[in-house]
Amino acid sequence: MQRSASDGAARAVVSRRVLWIVPILLLPLPLLLNPYQQYVINLVLVYVPVAIGFNVVVGNLGLLAFSNVAFFGIGAYTAGILMVRLGLPWWVAVPPAALMGAVAGCAASVPALRGVRLFYLAIMTLAFGELMRWVYIRWIPVTGGSFGMALPPPDLFGWSLDSEAGKFYVFLGLVLVAIIATDRILRSRFGRAFVAIKSDELAAAAMGVPTNRYITLGFAWGGAVVGVGGAMYAALIGHLSPPAFDLTELILEFAIIMVGGLGSLVGSVIGAVIITAAPEFFHELPGYQELLFGILIVLVILFLPRGLASLLARAHPLFRDRYDRG
Amino acid sequence: MILSQLVISGVATGMLYALIALSMTVGYRATTVVNFGHGDIVMMGAYAMLFLAVGVGMPFPLALALAASGLFLFGFLMQRGLMAPIIAGPHLSLAIMALAVGYALRGVARIEWGNDILLLPRPYAQNAFLLGPVVITMDDLVITGSVLLLLLLLFVVFNVTRIGKVIQAVFQTQRGAQLVGINVPAFHCIMWGAGTTLGTAGGVLLALIVPLTPDMGVWTLVRGFAAMTLGGFGSLHGAVIGGVLLGLMEKLLGFYVSTVFIDISGYLITILVLLIRPQGLFGQHATLRV
Repeated sequence: MQRSASDGAARAVVSRRVLWIVPILLLPLPLLLNPYQQYVINLVLVYVPVAIGFNVVVGNLGLLAFSNVAFFGIGAYTAGILMVRLGLPWWVAVPPAALMGAVAGCAASVPALRGVRLFYLAIMTLAFGELMRWVYIRWIPVTGGSFGMALPPPDLFGWSLDSEAGKFYVFLGLVLVAIIATDRILRSRFGRAFVAIKSDELAAAAMGVPTNRYITLGFAWGGAVVGVGGAMYAALIGHLSPPAFDLTELILEFAIIMVGGLGSLVGSVIGAVIITAAPEFFHELPGYQELLFGILIVLVILFLPRGLASLLARAHPLFRDRYDRG
Repeated sequence: MILSQLVISGVATGMLYALIALSMTVGYRATTVVNFGHGDIVMMGAYAMLFLAVGVGMPFPLALALAASGLFLFGFLMQRGLMAPIIAGPHLSLAIMALAVGYALRGVARIEWGNDILLLPRPYAQNAFLLGPVVITMDDLVITGSVLLLLLLLFVVFNVTRIGKVIQAVFQTQRGAQLVGINVPAFHCIMWGAGTTLGTAGGVLLALIVPLTPDMGVWTLVRGFAAMTLGGFGSLHGAVIGGVLLGLMEKLLGFYVSTVFIDISGYLITILVLLIRPQGLFGQHATLRV
């Protein structure tokens, strides 16, 4: 029994190389789709890093941090402000967006380090997110206030990325980097420390794991990845306004990681693919999206608490997260 | 003179926050689960009242009674069908479950009533009284009076009746309460329902002074949390005092410092209190020490 399990895992590692076919198969996609469909695909790519970063903090570290929309908005506004107010090209603004996301992540981890946990942490980080939205509305000279801020078309090393296809290739590259780097982190010492903190923080600390340091690192990494997602969002939408970063956005992001699978990298990707496109179908029907998403999350929690990723992992070891021993 | 005027209207608003915080505290004390959908339940209570009183045309007291019982049933069934099955699970699931229920409610309100801004007509004349130089509106009186009445009722229930003893017993030890024959799951359902009923009362009072929108739940939730946090989580008198202090702070800082504070006092209080004194004014210890 034990042996067949490890055989399966070994086979999975070998056949995992197969996964590289997926991005290669995606390459000719822009030739096949119309610009609107391409826009939706790009939106999915934006939400992959957003979900990955969120899932690291909530799923892997197991902390109730509701501040993901704040990281997302800070990344998007950092990129937007650098492009509009300082005239920097988009690709120059991506690393600062990641950096500001990481700084926001460190800031959001401060209450956790002071021992604020569970519902208290959730409430506090929720207040942080709402406070940031208020900053976007009120800091009018910089953020453009409620009217928002129109952005120039993004570019990469001087190439203009005004077509959806151009954005697609750049986004695909960034998403791959985010997935691979997060996979490495979760499989390393860091990822094992996250597992220890999630299952029993006191025991982890007693075993000598510097829990505070890992919590800050987890938040910072999550914030950075989500910040990159924000910069991608700014490039895709071309216009930033405060309502895009409200509580509804938080629930969309929760829906992504819950449906995909908490604490699973595979789940973050699946969830982003399935959920992100959904709001596009509800433009004409206000209210129905909220109702259906609400019901969907309720059903997932009741009947599939580890999300679609757990179903896939059961079906084929290829979809098992490599850091997931459970 | 201005100061006393600000204090009067601050206390009236604060009483409303106190009621909302209190309604959240009742559910929390019974189940130790925070209801992240509570803001939307308050919103739903206000809309249910609007529907019954204006849409159907019922007299105000009957509409109030029906709305309150409807929301009690909703809270009861929410606890029974959605929260109870996962109550032993991770806190995250519980938080997101309540958040998702609230989100679905918001969808229902938007489908049914759209984004129109609706007003609940007052069942009383909108008079104002002069107390020396200070103006007291009928709204202030009705809100403060209703909340004080509900507080008195809760005080009696919690401190004088047998039900209060049961509540105290379950709050201290669920296992112990179960051993002496208290039906803890049923108790959870009833208290969760009591919380949503009190939330309905808050929503109806809120609807008297602000226009209804499907999105008012977030605003409500943030203020309820701020009042609870300031008073100390789980403390009933803390929720009341926290609510009144929050109302006063919004009015006083909003007038003397900057109008900005009307919007952000709630967020600032939540963040600062949890950073500096997580247990609030009257709560028990709230942090994990590693």
